[in-house]
Amino acid sequence: MIASRPAARPLLLATGLLLALALPWMVYPPVALDIACWALFAAALDLLLGFTGLLSFGHAAFWGTSAYVAGLIALRSGLPFPVAVLGGAASAALLALPIGYLSVRLRGIYFAMVTLAFAQMVYFVVNQWRGLTGGENGLQGVPRELFGLDLSDSFLFYYAGLPLVLLGFLAVWRIVRSPFGRVLASIRDNPARAQALGYPVDRYRLLAFVLSAALSGLAGGLFAVGHGFASLENVYWTTSGQVVMMVVLGGIGTLWGGVLGAALVVLLNDYLVTSGFEGIGIVTGAIFVIIVLVFRRGVWGTARDLVRPRSGGGRRDRPPGEADGTPARPQGVGSPV
Amino acid sequence: MLQQAFNGLVGGAFYALLALGLAVIFGMLGVVNFAHGAFYMLGAFGSYILLDHFGVGFWAALVTVPLVLGLAGALLERLFVRRLAPLDPLYNFLFTFGLALILQDLVKREYGVQSQPYPRPEALAGTVDLGLFTYPAYQVFVLAVSLVVCGAVWVVLTRTRVGMIVRAATERPELTRALGIDVGRWVTPVFGFGIALAGLAGVLAAPMRAVNPLMGADLIITVFAVVVIGGLGSIFGSVAAGFAIGLVSALGNLYVPALSQTLVFILMAAVLLWRPAGLFGREESPS
Amino acid sequence: MRALGRAAALVAAGATIAGCAGGPGGGGSGEKISDGKVVLAVLNDQSAIYADLSGKSSVTAVQMAVDDYKARYGGKAVVKDIEVVSADHQNKPEVANSKAQELYDRQKADVILDVPSSAAALAVAGVAKGKKKIFMDIGAATTELEGAQCNKYTFHYGYNTWMLAHGTGATVTEDGSKNWYIVYPDYAFGQDMQKNFTAAVKDAGGTVIQADPAPFPNDNFSTFLLKAPGLDPKPQVLGTMQAGGDLVNLVKQYNEYKLRDKGIGLAVGLMFITDIHSLGPDALAGTKFTDAWYWNATPENRAWADKFQAKAGKRPSFPNAANYSAATQYLEAVQRAGTDGADAVVGQLEGHTFEDVFAKNATIRAQDHLLTHDVSLAQVKPSSEVTEPWDYEKVLKPIPADKAFQPASPACKL
Repeated sequence: MIASRPAARPLLLATGLLLALALPWMVYPPVALDIACWALFAAALDLLLGFTGLLSFGHAAFWGTSAYVAGLIALRSGLPFPVAVLGGAASAALLALPIGYLSVRLRGIYFAMVTLAFAQMVYFVVNQWRGLTGGENGLQGVPRELFGLDLSDSFLFYYAGLPLVLLGFLAVWRIVRSPFGRVLASIRDNPARAQALGYPVDRYRLLAFVLSAALSGLAGGLFAVGHGFASLENVYWTTSGQVVMMVVLGGIGTLWGGVLGAALVVLLNDYLVTSGFEGIGIVTGAIFVIIVLVFRRGVWGTARDLVRPRSGGGRRDRPPGEADGTPARPQGVGSPV
Repeated sequence: MLQQAFNGLVGGAFYALLALGLAVIFGMLGVVNFAHGAFYMLGAFGSYILLDHFGVGFWAALVTVPLVLGLAGALLERLFVRRLAPLDPLYNFLFTFGLALILQDLVKREYGVQSQPYPRPEALAGTVDLGLFTYPAYQVFVLAVSLVVCGAVWVVLTRTRVGMIVRAATERPELTRALGIDVGRWVTPVFGFGIALAGLAGVLAAPMRAVNPLMGADLIITVFAVVVIGGLGSIFGSVAAGFAIGLVSALGNLYVPALSQTLVFILMAAVLLWRPAGLFGREESPS
Repeated sequence: MRALGRAAALVAAGATIAGCAGGPGGGGSGEKISDGKVVLAVLNDQSAIYADLSGKSSVTAVQMAVDDYKARYGGKAVVKDIEVVSADHQNKPEVANSKAQELYDRQKADVILDVPSSAAALAVAGVAKGKKKIFMDIGAATTELEGAQCNKYTFHYGYNTWMLAHGTGATVTEDGSKNWYIVYPDYAFGQDMQKNFTAAVKDAGGTVIQADPAPFPNDNFSTFLLKAPGLDPKPQVLGTMQAGGDLVNLVKQYNEYKLRDKGIGLAVGLMFITDIHSLGPDALAGTKFTDAWYWNATPENRAWADKFQAKAGKRPSFPNAANYSAATQYLEAVQRAGTDGADAVVGQLEGHTFEDVFAKNATIRAQDHLLTHDVSLAQVKPSSEVTEPWDYEKVLKPIPADKAFQPASPACKL
């Protein structure tokens, strides 16, 4: 999204919007909704990973909590589904406050481990709290209607839900381009300097974490309502791993890359499900390994570097640790705080 | 009660071995090995394969499996981990995450998801009288092995030259290099050793736990929490936290069953609130 | 604004198209066999935890049912063209949900079979209801399918938590083991099992001294095993509701602590033949459990199991046989109805009584669409009595269909 040549930007945006509108004509409509939701989820994670420099390995907690809360609101109160989804997003933000408060004190890899552990705790709670969540049966029978209009047809629901996804993208885009976003980038690139300049680094990180969680929640709530139920899978660590993979595959810190990554991963999974190939993890794992070893800029990043010579890109577009091509071993190794 | 506490220590023995492996690898390379759980699983599967295909029993497996896995680990370090080491440690985290998925599914493809049978060694089939109560011999053996291994690692680290280099490299990598010590020479063996420890835990688990491809996946997340509680940079902290968490979860099962799964994570939150660096980690200013 | 306008136009266009393409679900308008063929779709777990139990081998079983149907009716068959398709839901409910829609809409599936694990099964039941297409669940144990979440197009075939718990709980108690200590995994399945099991034990005149929830998943059951002998009065049976890997963990440790020697027997809530294979028969010898079907129980079962082995390369589990039976009964219903229209086939299935290799004394209950059939209390043989691979069970006594399954729940309104 942050193209340095302004002329390219409207073109990209228009193409993206057109693709979003045409998607259910190109792929099976339930798959189209999956792509839209995961794309927003990936963008929300990238906000944290690419633009704040924090790898959360526990974002399933926010996506999944919102899925359950949105489902419960729609199921029990009968409010229109966008209200339920926004309620879910709010609950995700609320949950992100204590988790973020404890986690942002830690750097780099510690942050990943701690968020993963907290997400696992949320998973256990959801699994045990059967009265509310339905336990392993899941929260079933979530209605899909808007002011009496039945939206259980996936094709219709896609268009009913799309404005929420676009709203989410608009929010991500505004955050990244705001002064707040620029402070986040400077914290990512050099926390000590940002601190010295008087920015309360941890508070900025916490706010970024909460915003990212809220947007993940927006995506997760819509995903659950779109499927008509929430399940344990939504809060399991595999979901956290999947969204990280989408971002890494697409390209960290590119936003568009996450969208592309989401589409690729969803379509790949959809293909593998009927391919008769046992061992989806082998494919998924191999993608991780290959990307990390040889394609660290991801598909989008690599493609963009081909189009645009390297010197043209700003520093903020680089994956963490590779800023300006100088391998950096960041702070935090050996000391967790 | 005493018996329950003892049983907690046996559970903690696995956490301690796994956390110790994670800690030495992290200390030396700054890498958090997500595939640690997968190597634990491979340890258990290695014993099963040895028995099932080659008729090789538990005692031989106890030596050969960690050795083979250790070598595989060393190879892994040489080929891949090393290449990613100069970059942000996140890349190695992601790399090992992908590796864990691959290993898990390769085993799943070959052997299915059902648990595989593995008998207890005959010599340890009985019970041991521990004075206050009797206890299954095999579990006493597991605890003993874990204590001996952790103790031995401690002695090596504090009493030998190798240990001093490893500790120095862990705590002050730049300074150690500046003093002209070739840290790089020790990276590969230490990585292999950490993997071997995971393999050893897996071999020990085979006779008393379900041997299936998913056995390491959830466990590793709990071990992460254990390591965070102990202090990731601290080798002693990881081991101590391993045993402590084993103890706490056993008692938790008994007294607050509703919390027994979340307890370790609640503890982690409490520790983070109180000492962000973990119980035995060093507080240090970032820079 | 312009974008929204365009979206609205697309919505309208989409609605028209969907209206044309989708049409009314299963009324059987005009043509007797929709699209000229019948498509049976097996949607199950081919890569995660249920893969060994059912998975691809159940696709084989369904294909056998199709072949047998063709052989049985030859030229008189109502359907000439029968296709079996399958998809792997990886034990992910969302995938099951999307794939079920796609199977009904795009692959023109007339029936979806199997779908293990509760969340996925309930999600697919919702799809079946919306699309008015038939769904016969085999793999899931939850009684919700024939309870509050039942619907006209969903059938539950083979087993459920009530049957597992009552079969074992009541029979073992009646046989003289009155005092129970129950350990169950603390999630929906385990909680259901515990409730049903306790009720069954009480009805049979026994007592549950204590029931403890265990974490799930869990690899250390020592806490509970140590506690068992100290309870007052001392329990005669340890009833475990654990399944899969957790069950294996618990049984390994039960043997470690030698509880059988201390006079505490073991009864298992849910056990599949694959679990016995994992543990080795000796680890479980003497353990009692309820089985929906066993391949070596009768010569008839065995003959079918031989045919199955020739195709699938292994002995059938009961879900394999149940898939065969469900596919057979579906095709028979189509044959009787003379059409594959869902409503007509549902009419033929409801209240149907029959016998086949899997289901004896069987009825598809009209009130809640649960298949009731005779099941049996089984016991694991010691390895000294095992004469061939996978020969692990001894059938102790049959449990008649009316005792084996719960009465229809008032919560179900079709």
